[in-house]
Amino acid sequence: MGTNQKPSVLIVDDEEMVITSVRAYLQLETEFEIHGFTDPEQALKHIASNLIDIVVSDYLMPKISGIQLLGKARAIQPEASRVLLTGHADKQSAIQAINDVGLYQYIEKPWENAQLLLIIQNGIERARLLRTLHDKVSELDTAHSSLKDVQRRLLQAFL
Amino acid sequence: MSQQRDPQTGMDTLSVQVTEEHKMASIGRLLAGIVHEINTPIGSIVSNNQVIMRALEMVKQALAEPQPASLDKAKGVLDTCISLASVDKIACERILEVIRGLKTFARVDSSELRKTDLNEQILNTLKLTHGEFRRRVHVETDLGDMPPVECYPHMLNQVFLNILVNAGQAIEGEGKIVVRTRRAGDFVEVSISDTGHGIRPEDRNRIFAGGFTTKAVGVGTGLGLSISKKIVEETHNGSIDFESEVGRGTTFHVRLPIEQAKSRPTSSLK
Repeated sequence: MGTNQKPSVLIVDDEEMVITSVRAYLQLETEFEIHGFTDPEQALKHIASNLIDIVVSDYLMPKISGIQLLGKARAIQPEASRVLLTGHADKQSAIQAINDVGLYQYIEKPWENAQLLLIIQNGIERARLLRTLHDKVSELDTAHSSLKDVQRRLLQAFL
Repeated sequence: MSQQRDPQTGMDTLSVQVTEEHKMASIGRLLAGIVHEINTPIGSIVSNNQVIMRALEMVKQALAEPQPASLDKAKGVLDTCISLASVDKIACERILEVIRGLKTFARVDSSELRKTDLNEQILNTLKLTHGEFRRRVHVETDLGDMPPVECYPHMLNQVFLNILVNAGQAIEGEGKIVVRTRRAGDFVEVSISDTGHGIRPEDRNRIFAGGFTTKAVGVGTGLGLSISKKIVEETHNGSIDFESEVGRGTTFHVRLPIEQAKSRPTSSLK
């Protein structure tokens, strides 16, 4: 499901300049589909109706914090990888995020483009593997229940 | 007890030293906010620089072997460069603003009274608190027409910073700070109001006493307001007072004469 589509990256930061910079870099280096939002609530709406491979979010934003946003993203699309990009030199918030929302990675501002790209690539791969795994497990489930069904009918026929 | 007095500011030398140390401590507390404020634009500039270098390489290659398709791509890449350059401009301005704010505190050429635009000083001081407040505290300014005020600007900045930091700390969660300036005859008045928790009645006559603080250890030194009072009243012949309502907020009023008397009252006390 969805693996033929271009990888989809969501960037959320209340600073337009961060989105512009990251988008320009990713557009130059990759074929990813990139969506940027300065308003976390709009980002959540996007997550609710579009398949996302990775969400990169700022920490300190008005209305919703990055941790809250990633927590909600996890509830909507658990397979999507979650990355916190923060200028707040605060390890406490990183630890909280990792524990609370199952963070995939934590990046500090100012960020290193090459490192950011590697994290995003790996995050996308992880999300797609998780989805494939999910699909395989449900295929197995279906196969298992149809086998059960066959077994039940066999037993009925012979006993 | 006879103490040596600083001939310029009228403060005793110990006070001058304490004032200086306290100034550094208040800036230190704002440092996390200042770092955050600079981090974002720096991050953008560093990233944009890399992208622009790569993009220009691509354009150079396209120009070396011109083909319609590669030239089209080069045009798109150049558009990206232009938009990134304008982002860099905004980013540099943001950094410069913070630096300007810091500079008003680092000034050492200020042993003399200077005619100063207090509105400008207040705006510079607000740039330092911006990083600390931005997501949580909304700052409104209502700056009136003010004549140049004869003062020691770096010292008054410290007073404004003290009151602003206190105001920000008094606000739990989200709130508002209003900074208002007005001329009143031969004086100017700077009022700073917050929507914080207010000052308890039993604390009100102690807040200007040195060493008194209601803040947690490591948050306040308990010296901010006592130093501020000295700076305003002893050094500038002004006055500082406040109104406060528990649960609603506090307003500090700083009144300063526009011109300082030629002979300083403190030196005539000797």
